[in-house]
Amino acid sequence: MFEKPVPLPTEDSAPFWKACREHELRMQRCNNCGHVRFPPSVLCPKCTSLEATWDKLSGRGEIFTFIIVHQTYHPAFDEDMPYNVAMVRLEEGPGFHSNIVECKNEDLYCGMPVELVFEDRTEEISLPKFRPRSS
Amino acid sequence: MSLKDKYVIAGVGLTKIGKIPGVSNMSFTLEAMKIAIEDAGLTRDDVDGALVINPVRLGEQHGWGARVAALMELSTTFTNTMDIGGATPIAMIQTAAMAIDAGMCNVVVCAFGNQNNPQGVHMTLPNLEFTMPYGDIGAIPFQAHIARNHMHKYGLTSRQLGEIAVTFRKHACLTPHAQMRPKGPFTIEDHQNSRMVIEPLHLLDVCVNTDGGGAVVVTSAERAKDLKHPPVYIMGMGQSHSSEMVPPWPEKTEHRGGTKASEMAFHMAGVTHKDIDVAQLYDGFTILVINELENFGFCKLGEGGSFVEGGRLGLDGELPSNTAGGLMSEGHLMGMGHVVEAVRQLRGQCGERQVKDAEICFVNGYGGAPHEYPPTLSYSTLILRR
Repeated sequence: MFEKPVPLPTEDSAPFWKACREHELRMQRCNNCGHVRFPPSVLCPKCTSLEATWDKLSGRGEIFTFIIVHQTYHPAFDEDMPYNVAMVRLEEGPGFHSNIVECKNEDLYCGMPVELVFEDRTEEISLPKFRPRSS
Repeated sequence: MSLKDKYVIAGVGLTKIGKIPGVSNMSFTLEAMKIAIEDAGLTRDDVDGALVINPVRLGEQHGWGARVAALMELSTTFTNTMDIGGATPIAMIQTAAMAIDAGMCNVVVCAFGNQNNPQGVHMTLPNLEFTMPYGDIGAIPFQAHIARNHMHKYGLTSRQLGEIAVTFRKHACLTPHAQMRPKGPFTIEDHQNSRMVIEPLHLLDVCVNTDGGGAVVVTSAERAKDLKHPPVYIMGMGQSHSSEMVPPWPEKTEHRGGTKASEMAFHMAGVTHKDIDVAQLYDGFTILVINELENFGFCKLGEGGSFVEGGRLGLDGELPSNTAGGLMSEGHLMGMGHVVEAVRQLRGQCGERQVKDAEICFVNGYGGAPHEYPPTLSYSTLILRR
């Protein structure tokens, strides 16, 4: 049996994954211009400021695009096929790859409103996932 | 000062390509270099520059370019190992022209070799921590996202993608060395019936894996005067890099990261789209061709799907494209094959698949790091003439 891969936090991403473990979605908000950025980075891509705060996000967003995987490249995912991967646009701006849970693949559509839900994977890692929300 | 028409491609070479286990990256690279140098009518002693693409499966390998050159005993004053994914072959040619112009060297061989086996090595996690845990793995998911977005926004259909795959296979069937020629042509119904790989992409929307090598020789127009073949001139070139699909890039570029690369090439060449007789478009996936036609201004934004209908990309069409079958059906040499085919078309060497009176060819590469996070896209372009 293959285990599904879990993230190995880096120096840059450790605060992100630590917040996820506490079931909070936090991303860096620039202290200078207010831009929320993802993936984690030392500087703001808008104004290049080095100062940022790990802000808690609303966890709300919508599906930008989604795909259904019928053939995969890691055996740990074989049992899930066909499964979805969506690019979610968060209310605060950033995009985020994830899976949409509590929803049939056939019911997914671009623009679908979604909300955050966490999946505990290991002692250290909880994965942000999303499910449909009513409005 | 513009480099227009000052530098040329003097020689091209492809090794045998296809599923060829037992031949190393290095062997394919060296053999392709030998073929290209001989095709130019030059010898090893004439070459003083070498650019190569780092074979992805080697991991960290410093000085790959110099090592390749050493195995051919090239006396080089300029080498480098380059990597912007599938945009690299064209970027190497651009870099070669710039290096010659800067006085670093006179004759540069640009080469690539790839051995896919052994397969089955799982990708390791660093840099993929925001995609791989969700099962978004490898090159295809990102292209499927792009296709979904195009279908949602502009009404692109899978049958329109099928037109591209069918056309390129038809071209491969007229190309003796093409990897998929033995499989024969297929229809749009075959495309529609091929299994889903990553929805909305079918198996026949996806390119092949290829073992093999390709190389080209770049030198000055002056140096190429008395060589074996009439030179193929570099009229125009460009690059652009973006992240397109991931905010904030959609607002910034309207998913059109490649537009700048094309504008630069047309501007430098001083020609328009109507002057292009033949095109070699980077076709790792059918959806890429749609986006490139739109990005590069061959049709309007959102109209790529209808543009490819009715055989427009066929040999008798308005824009004959990927005349040897492309990555979809000729074989995947990271786009080196596209450049080789462009040169052969402009030399009139293409036999049954020759585009009549082909004088000017548009070629592009596409790559970067589309399966890292954020997915980063690199476009490179050339406009070549005979």
